[in-house]
Amino acid sequence: MSQQKTLFRSLLLFVAFGYVTGCSNPDNPDDSGYVDLPPIQVREGDGLPLELPPDLVWVTNDEDPEFASPDAIRGGMFRTWMLSFPLTLRLVGPDSNGAFAGVMRANQFGPISYHPQTGRPIPVLATHWAFGLDGRSIFYRINPKAKWSDGFPVTADDFVFSVQFHRSEQIVGPWYNNYYTERIRDVRKYDSHIYGIQGADAKPPEEMHANYAIGPRPKHFHKMSDRWVEEYNWKPDPTTGPYHVGKVVKGKYVDLVRTENWWGDDLRYMRNRFNPQTIRYRVIRDQNTAWQHFLKGEIDTFSLTIPEYWHDKAQHEVFRDGYVAKYWFYNQLPQPSTGISLNTADPLLSDINIRLGIAHSINLQRVIDTILRGDYERLETFNLGFGEYDNTSIQPRKFDIKKANEYFEAAGFDKRDSSGIRIRTNEDGSVRRLSFRVTYGRPLHTPRLVVIQEEAKKTGLELQLQLLDSAASFKQMREKKHQLAWMGWASSGIAPTYWEFFHSVNANVTQSNNLTNHANPAMDELIMQYRHSGDRRERVALAHLLEQMVHDAAVVIPRTKVPFTREAAWRWVELPEWRGTRHSNALFNSQAPSQMYSGGGLFWINEEKKKEVLNAKKEGRRLDEIVVIDETYRN
Amino acid sequence: MLDPQTVKQWKRFRSIKRGYWSAIVLLVLLGISMIAELLVNNRALIVSYEGKWHFPTYAGVIPGSVFGLDYDYETNYRDLQQKFKEESEGNWVLMPLVPYNAFENDLRTDKFPPYPPSLESKHYLGTDSTGRDIVARLLYGFRIAMGFALVLLVCSYAAGILVGCAMGYWGGIFDLLFQRLIEIWNTVPFLYVIMIVASVVVPSFWTLVTVMVIFGWTTMTWNMRTSTYKEKAREYVNAARALGAGNSRVIGIHILPNTISVIVTFIPFSIASGVASLTALDYLGFGLPPPTPSWGELLSQGTDHLESGWIVISVLVAIVSVLLMVTYIGEAIREAFDPKKFTYYE
Repeated sequence: MSQQKTLFRSLLLFVAFGYVTGCSNPDNPDDSGYVDLPPIQVREGDGLPLELPPDLVWVTNDEDPEFASPDAIRGGMFRTWMLSFPLTLRLVGPDSNGAFAGVMRANQFGPISYHPQTGRPIPVLATHWAFGLDGRSIFYRINPKAKWSDGFPVTADDFVFSVQFHRSEQIVGPWYNNYYTERIRDVRKYDSHIYGIQGADAKPPEEMHANYAIGPRPKHFHKMSDRWVEEYNWKPDPTTGPYHVGKVVKGKYVDLVRTENWWGDDLRYMRNRFNPQTIRYRVIRDQNTAWQHFLKGEIDTFSLTIPEYWHDKAQHEVFRDGYVAKYWFYNQLPQPSTGISLNTADPLLSDINIRLGIAHSINLQRVIDTILRGDYERLETFNLGFGEYDNTSIQPRKFDIKKANEYFEAAGFDKRDSSGIRIRTNEDGSVRRLSFRVTYGRPLHTPRLVVIQEEAKKTGLELQLQLLDSAASFKQMREKKHQLAWMGWASSGIAPTYWEFFHSVNANVTQSNNLTNHANPAMDELIMQYRHSGDRRERVALAHLLEQMVHDAAVVIPRTKVPFTREAAWRWVELPEWRGTRHSNALFNSQAPSQMYSGGGLFWINEEKKKEVLNAKKEGRRLDEIVVIDETYRN
Repeated sequence: MLDPQTVKQWKRFRSIKRGYWSAIVLLVLLGISMIAELLVNNRALIVSYEGKWHFPTYAGVIPGSVFGLDYDYETNYRDLQQKFKEESEGNWVLMPLVPYNAFENDLRTDKFPPYPPSLESKHYLGTDSTGRDIVARLLYGFRIAMGFALVLLVCSYAAGILVGCAMGYWGGIFDLLFQRLIEIWNTVPFLYVIMIVASVVVPSFWTLVTVMVIFGWTTMTWNMRTSTYKEKAREYVNAARALGAGNSRVIGIHILPNTISVIVTFIPFSIASGVASLTALDYLGFGLPPPTPSWGELLSQGTDHLESGWIVISVLVAIVSVLLMVTYIGEAIREAFDPKKFTYYE
């Protein structure tokens, strides 16, 4: 017994000693492992001027309308939820791409953002900006008031450090390493508050920010070493945005707390926004459970975009009695490219007649009219929602038995077997059935596919549903092992992209996003022209042409679009009169970004109203029901 | 003629009313599910068109054009029945009791699924969230679940009995080795294996059976091992040996029939666990691929649509009653085969 005790004590001593020496390490730079990051390497042909060019035209934007309400009330706690606890609070490195990372990144403001109504750049960390003559560099003048949430000022060094940091191997983030080397070519400090940045390609000026306006990283905060990933795992960065990470109870919740005297409070486009004092993200591991919490008033808002929620679940008495309001708000954002990608590497799918036949056999309208309750709309083109870049002359192919029959017959499938599926007898006498696998990764979509599957039988097409785990399905698609891929790409940015989805470089290789394996030299040429063009008008014309080519090739069947957000909120969560903006992805978005626009954080919590509503609920007193359908921005 | 002991056991089984009636009801249900196509189907039983009779149930697809309709895909017999009735030209259609199959989405434009139970639309238990008839889903799901449980039973018992008997009969090193092997094998978390398999390939009926047999055969070995040990020491085995019977003959003709009561008493419980496992796997989304009719999938829909109570109630009642009946049967069989009643020690 006593021996055991001694052993235990010496172990404790050993641990304590190790801990102390571990702590004292940073003072001793020789064996600490901490390193200074190498200076920015610039390739030949790249590079910003050594001195700030004297003829720059500095611009700002202080004339667009404000979009937050002066009636907003500060304070209170906004309670929301997340499905799982984040695996790390780092912004880069392993496991840093979970859902909560989006919330933390949202508080890392960059030099500029985009106005959610006009779409024009607005000042954030930068007060002014100017474009270089090479067509691919921008200069920013940083707001001298700008501060990190730990009180340190934001300077040009932080922007230079940001590029060094994202290029460093210590962060274990190959995507960032690549982006900050290939797309960002140079960064230079001209003064403590002026810096320049150079990207890889020329872009139209209004689009350049979206690609090259990288955010700063706190140079004073990060000590780089090979242990960076572990050391900073639970050490959240200070922020430049209104909130920083407050109390964290692992596995239970994360609080975002408003930074005291936040430097941005007086900015024209930031005032009266980000009103709650605290935002609590509680872990609730199941959507249905979260819904029950919401009905009890333990969560303030809930998304109702899924038709079942809006139409059925939101018939609960808290809605009827007016304690909870329902909002249906149309917006104008880039639509995710949802669709069915047809793998042209498959011998049958390489035949355009088959592809056209399939396109006319997919009854999306029936899915929309029944399962989706007529709420969603048919997506017309692969890329949509980019303003003038959209090619609105294209009409999607509709379910049409006659046309489908013609196309399938043209492909040689002119007979049906005893189960009603088309067959073709090949020259060697073998019989091929018109049957394809549909790979997908979301159980939620099974009902939609079941309807499509039943309808497709009418044209003699058999679809076999292959539901995989979402990661496994995506892996199969990126390895090009699918036949039909039912999936969607998130879209954002100012202009559509074509290279990753349709360029032949990405066809017939694994781990690329060209899921259709489409390869067309004529299209390749246009894609490269589109990619390198700095002239917006030319780019718009090219985008229209490219979209038409995608349609003509019939390699993707665009699915549905959701040009709105639907949410439920307890009555004490209040909105401006105009509720949201053209580019609001959600009304009760507590964070700034709404895709690439700065449109969030407009609501506030009215504590007095909260007391009233809770009293009314206790007494069983009914209030007026609130159901708002706002079609201001409906196309 | 039957062995007098078997007759006694049968009488004893019949005297336990709960188990006896459960067995009858379950057998009837199984029988019904075998001919489900005749009772619950969207294909007509008989179509009389222009004096000619058609029997579409078990035939191939009959395109609408055969009955003078303007399409080439499978005839919608419910519409056809309606049409013939309106025309009243002597053509008629005889539909099954429930005129829907388990895959078809009966969707209307004025209302959204799930639809509540209704006599008028002949959805006697309503529909699920994609408008598929719940009676049809339940019945076809029952057939698949019972089929699955039975196949699983046969396969895993075959392996379990074989290995168990061998262990008990030879004993020694062989027994010791297999005991340890089985213990190790039992620690492999079978649910994870299924989850991994299901995320890589779409599990088919046979892959599921295979995986479950691979991990489920071991249970039976322990019981068989002990019974074989016991029987092996009996005099009749010695006698058989003395007469020159070989190992396979001793095991197959003498020992196995005497251990049958052990096997039989376990069967109902294994069936219950087979049905329950498939339901659980389907509920979790690792079971048979959609749109296979399945109780687990229906249960998961039911819990997602608690406000449409008919889904969850139907499937819960179905699961609970089938499992209860199987358990009652098991209880009765155990009772009937109880050696305390029929073994006489001299």
